[in-house]
Amino acid sequence: MKTAYILAAILLIVPTSVLLDVPLYNHVNPELYGLPFFWWFQGMWLVIATVMYAIAALILQHVDPDKEEFQ
Amino acid sequence: MIITLIIFIALFALFTSVGFAAAYWRKGDLSDLGQWALAGRKLGPYLAWFLVGGDLYTAYTFIAVPSAAFGKGSIYAFATPYVMTTFAIAMVTMVTLWKMSRRKNYITGVDFVRDRFKSRTLAIAIALTGIVAELPYIALQIVGMRAVLQVMLAPYFTSVTGVSEIALIISFVILALFTFVSGLRGATLTAVMKDVIILITVAAVIIYVPLTIKGGFAHAFQLASTAKPKVSFSTLPSKLTNAYISLFILSALTLYFYPHAINGVLSSRNLKSLRYSTAFLPLYGVGLFLLTLFAVLIYAVPSALKVVGGNGTLVVPALIDATMPAWFTGIAFLGIFIGGLVPAAVMAISQANLLTRNIIKEFKPDLKPATETRIVKWSSVVFKFLALGFVFIISPTYAISLQLLGGIFVAQTLPSMMLGLYDRSFLNRWALLAGWAAGMGSGIWFTEVANNFGILSTSLMKSPFGLLYIAAVSLAINLFVAYVGSAISKLISPGAAPATEKAGM
Repeated sequence: MKTAYILAAILLIVPTSVLLDVPLYNHVNPELYGLPFFWWFQGMWLVIATVMYAIAALILQHVDPDKEEFQ
Repeated sequence: MIITLIIFIALFALFTSVGFAAAYWRKGDLSDLGQWALAGRKLGPYLAWFLVGGDLYTAYTFIAVPSAAFGKGSIYAFATPYVMTTFAIAMVTMVTLWKMSRRKNYITGVDFVRDRFKSRTLAIAIALTGIVAELPYIALQIVGMRAVLQVMLAPYFTSVTGVSEIALIISFVILALFTFVSGLRGATLTAVMKDVIILITVAAVIIYVPLTIKGGFAHAFQLASTAKPKVSFSTLPSKLTNAYISLFILSALTLYFYPHAINGVLSSRNLKSLRYSTAFLPLYGVGLFLLTLFAVLIYAVPSALKVVGGNGTLVVPALIDATMPAWFTGIAFLGIFIGGLVPAAVMAISQANLLTRNIIKEFKPDLKPATETRIVKWSSVVFKFLALGFVFIISPTYAISLQLLGGIFVAQTLPSMMLGLYDRSFLNRWALLAGWAAGMGSGIWFTEVANNFGILSTSLMKSPFGLLYIAAVSLAINLFVAYVGSAISKLISPGAAPATEKAGM
């Protein structure tokens, strides 16, 4: 139960923490189809975040003590 | 091209009939406020995904962000991490709020604040803030609609501004009529149509346009880097790092606390549908991400660049017009146009809900349900035209500043609305009110100073940490006052705060 919440929290927090570290991706190379790294790296995280959030949603829904109440 | 205009008008006629027909969809008693404003709470995961996504991706996406990026460069790439983060926050906060709303029959976010802190003054302050914050956001939608009309009608009229304003007023009358008749249901069904058209548009345009450009993105970035005045597109100037972070975090925190966003959340049918539809919303952000890049792509299309001139709001419509076949341009223009219209309707409905439920009813608690619904309908019409008036007296160049101004206001409701969801007994209502006043006052003051008391053009202020989004600074002041005030009230009368129910995540 507790592990599940920690896991969900990590899945929800990681994408934001990565993009908070602006110097990590604030450069031009490597380019992808002519897009600077600064752009495509952030765009890529939208897709990764969707997958991570979806897993978090599955976990949270599974362990939610109120799920019977809100069928 | 006349074909563009014909397709636009034909689709708009179809859109309008869908809006009216919606009154008969999953029929309920529309004179009941809950039915009218929350579509009877019958939305499943797919429709909820469309509706909430549709409300959140609007003229902001199509017009304001590309326009700002065109004028100021890579700082406005913040929209991408912003939409990513906002859904993680929503998966926690909105689930909590949704559960409480179900248990206690809240229709608006302010219903929660009223019940949690038992303060009429605080509830009214939060309701007024929500109403005021929506106005510039609606105005932004109208700026977007006007941009489409301007590009579309330009070949036919010498004075295109006057004509597009008349066309705008006509479409507003139609909008007012159908939301009046169909409520949120009208907005829901038309939102489905809008999103289908928009997703087709985005997918087609973002694949088609770079392919027509020799050298693709690389070439466009190279041309953009030689533009005057010089703006950084490929990376973020390092002195803007904190501005970037404050814009993306504060925008992410505030988005779901706009009254219209809460309205959409509360209309989810069940917990599962709310959770899963929210988790998949960052996918919508891919469209926003790609549209931001239109600000760069336009440099590779000289004819479109000429249409834009100095008016960045025309970037996306001009680029579509210059590169896509005429028939497709008609579809895309309609998509962007109703992409402003539908959210404007939803926003006005949420303002009207707040005004009626959380302000008027505080003074006239024995309002009959039928009277209540009538006031909501009429005031939603008034708010739409109020925002329309707003547009005619401001400059469209900095459209995004309208949304960022709204964000400064919404941020001041976060201590009561967001922290109130999890705080059991520490926060004191009078301290929250004082914090709200300090946040609003400082927010307005900083905005005035940053713009030299003139036309709204920036939402960033100078600070020891470089430029920062004003909402971040004002929220910090607000929180400081709210917590210090609450601590003092605890010292004076310990244990006086009302006990509250357990929230749950």
